[in-house]
Amino acid sequence: MDRRNFIKGTAALGGTLGSVFGSGSGAGLGARLVGGLAPGALWLEAVSEAAAGPLEYNLKADLIAPGTYVVIGPTEYFSHENGGNIVNTAFVDTDDGVVVIDTGPSLRYGNELRRLIKKTINKDIVRVYITHHHPDHFLGNQAFDQDHIASLPKVISNIKAEGEAFVENMYRLEGDWMRGTQVVLPKVALKSSEIIGGHAFEVLPLGGHTSADMAILDAKTGVLFAGDLAFLDRAPTTPHADLARWHKSLGALEKIKHDVLVPGHGPAEGGGRAIAQTRDYLKWLETMMRSSIDQGLNMTDIMATPIPERFSSISVLPGEMQRSVAHLYRAMEEDLLPLVSKGGG
Amino acid sequence: MQKMPHLKSIFFSSVFMLFASSIGPLDFAQAASFERPADPLKSVMWNQMYDEFLDGGARKVVFDKNVVVNTSQNVEDQFHVPVTVDARGITDVKEIVVFSDLNPIWHVLTYKPQEAEPYISFRFKVQQSTPIRAAVLTADNVWHVGGVNLEAAGGGCTAPAVAHGLPDWTLRLAEVRAKIWRSIDNREARLRVRIQHPMDTGLADGIPAFFIEKLNIKSADGRSFGQLQIQEPISENPAFTLMPKLKSADSSVIVDGRDIEGNNFRAVVPAPARSSQLGSSALTGAR
Repeated sequence: MDRRNFIKGTAALGGTLGSVFGSGSGAGLGARLVGGLAPGALWLEAVSEAAAGPLEYNLKADLIAPGTYVVIGPTEYFSHENGGNIVNTAFVDTDDGVVVIDTGPSLRYGNELRRLIKKTINKDIVRVYITHHHPDHFLGNQAFDQDHIASLPKVISNIKAEGEAFVENMYRLEGDWMRGTQVVLPKVALKSSEIIGGHAFEVLPLGGHTSADMAILDAKTGVLFAGDLAFLDRAPTTPHADLARWHKSLGALEKIKHDVLVPGHGPAEGGGRAIAQTRDYLKWLETMMRSSIDQGLNMTDIMATPIPERFSSISVLPGEMQRSVAHLYRAMEEDLLPLVSKGGG
Repeated sequence: MQKMPHLKSIFFSSVFMLFASSIGPLDFAQAASFERPADPLKSVMWNQMYDEFLDGGARKVVFDKNVVVNTSQNVEDQFHVPVTVDARGITDVKEIVVFSDLNPIWHVLTYKPQEAEPYISFRFKVQQSTPIRAAVLTADNVWHVGGVNLEAAGGGCTAPAVAHGLPDWTLRLAEVRAKIWRSIDNREARLRVRIQHPMDTGLADGIPAFFIEKLNIKSADGRSFGQLQIQEPISENPAFTLMPKLKSADSSVIVDGRDIEGNNFRAVVPAPARSSQLGSSALTGAR
């Protein structure tokens, strides 16, 4: 990528999208060297990883409903250690073949997921759903037949607009795990629900975590794939969030009868805990930030706010809260600071 | 990208030198008698920063933990990196100079607190991972330096401002939003001020530099709380928190300033004695 494209890509990021899941302190030596001044760093890193053997995610499928498997990722940040595997993907065995939900953070993950599916269910893959345009959910697309990959039109245009910049940043955060990974757009723009091999997959066009989030209900099994509209025991991320719309979507998900909910991050379970916790955390975050701004606190003050005890089961706090302050503060400040002098050139 | 900075920095360093020379006569008998201390941040640019901003040996330089530079070390948004410089642990502060070694334009701002605490909060743009430093000059001619290394993705300085993607952005140019909070005992106050402005660095293709260069904070009866010289790296729609020492009779604060194209702006910020009470955590916060 030449400089012009790089700058264009970065501008498209709009600033806040630099890292969807941030670069936690675990981003590691590699990132620091690559970003810094040691030209030999990339090479050294490659050598050390080769010496440690090939990189593998060691994905594991858990059966959560008849014919329905989830691949649960650790609830961490992107890092050189986890290679971006911080996400949940899933697949469903139907009479006509396998339906996949999300493809993971890299080509390497996509290939491993495809092999896991073949080992678990020896059938062809007939449909791949992408819930939204964040990199950990679609960068495994390369491993699948593009004709099968489907999402909402707005998700597809979001990938088109921001995918390349995400790839750049994922290379920075994860290094060699990303080797060969490129953006592959979903080819099928979904307009309605689909029946595949006796399963009715209800497509729910929602939003709020990003400008387009697709949840999917498998009406046959009662499994609701919520994408990143719901998190469980992992702090929700907000680089593209519209909090009011996110709450509306949580309300909509709650009304849909389901037996098991698969969040984008964290364990799958019934009982509504993911929706309730996501709502509770986002409400706390917004209320805490607005009242802090109202009391004269600036961004670095708010980033030091203690996390309430009831969120102690949620991982990557306070780091993720601090990122949210970076994402949300400016709009709230503009809203809360009184106008004292009108502009105009 | 590596060529441009030199022209810029030479230009702004000369601006800075004018600024610095107004503070007081240096004792040139002592010139160059001070040794350059080793940089705790281990920046390759330290020697140059020392010559550029810290008088290259003509004044004593010490690294001082009482110059607190508070920020989020992992940069989430390279267009808006929040920084608070808190030098309230140091007495007799004449000016605070903020600079970042590896940005294409090093100088971020110079703040001269007068009737104000040596405290400033702002947002700035970063082009890559870089140190961010604050140097505090005290009345005894010593530079007290604090800072941290920032970890960042690229691009904050060379991308166009968001304003240029919006229609009619000039209609709100230099709009001022502001608020003052006072503690009950009237011993501490905060002013938060936000000005609508693209703050173009001149490094984005086809967009010339266009930024606010001066901001003065005064009382209604003309006392100066502080003066701020602002440079290109300050983020679009700049926002500052300052701590003016208000008298109980001060019922407002006047903010005025101008950008490099000569657009002047002025705003009167009400400072009612008993409303808008400063939050208790604000009094201890950011330390």
